[in-house]
Amino acid sequence: MTEPAFIDLRFDRSLYAGPAIDEAVKVFAAHGEFHMSEETDTWVVKLRALRPGPARTRRLAHELANYALGLTVQRGGA
Amino acid sequence: MQSSYPDIPAGLVAHDLTDAAVELRVDPAIYPLQAVYGAAYIFIDRCYVFLDRPAADALRVTLTAKSGQADVGALRALIGEFANELISCAWRHQITQDNRVLLETVTLQAIAGAMGPPSLDDLASFDFSDQGFDDPLGIAMSWEEKHGKKPPPATTSEPTGDTTGDTTGNPTSGHGVEEPTP
Repeated sequence: MTEPAFIDLRFDRSLYAGPAIDEAVKVFAAHGEFHMSEETDTWVVKLRALRPGPARTRRLAHELANYALGLTVQRGGA
Repeated sequence: MQSSYPDIPAGLVAHDLTDAAVELRVDPAIYPLQAVYGAAYIFIDRCYVFLDRPAADALRVTLTAKSGQADVGALRALIGEFANELISCAWRHQITQDNRVLLETVTLQAIAGAMGPPSLDDLASFDFSDQGFDDPLGIAMSWEEKHGKKPPPATTSEPTGDTTGDTTGNPTSGHGVEEPTP
């Protein structure tokens, strides 16, 4: 049985607030495995769902991105 | 991503039926980032929204159907509604920018009024010598400051012809009580 693949989410630093991404990862921590890193212009979140299935991992990535965007807007921007 | 729609300029919108996603390229010179945030925030309960920068001078908004499947018409309607909302947010942002000074002034006055009257210490340290506003037309000046005092009328010593008076020749009212002079 193969391990489910990871998805890389790359959040542009000028569009997403770093604390908003941290908060979003905390909220979804129970649903997946997350690895966070930084690059020059982006925050990178590598993730996969705990329950197997690429569709679940994709949905987790979408929900995480939506949540991070919502928090960023509520904070007034990046 | 595949392009595109015949009623939309080429290169602005592309869709991907496999992922049920549609993307819109936005020029930040036309649509400020705050407007993009505003439109995106409205749509995050309807679809998945992701923002990125494919180039330094461009923004890309990707909308993905939450159901995981959508046809071409549904994606076209979704991105069209988003574009309309984007224009609305950009216009509201422009109005806010235009009226910023007015909003700040009214808010400042409301807060200052809610703080109540100044204390004695505040009044003691207040600089009353500061001119609060310019008055080039002299509207705030008094009449005397603006035109000078009117000279008092010259007094005349001619008799008035009144026969009721005392022996000194001073006219009186005839009752021995002098009337007050203004």
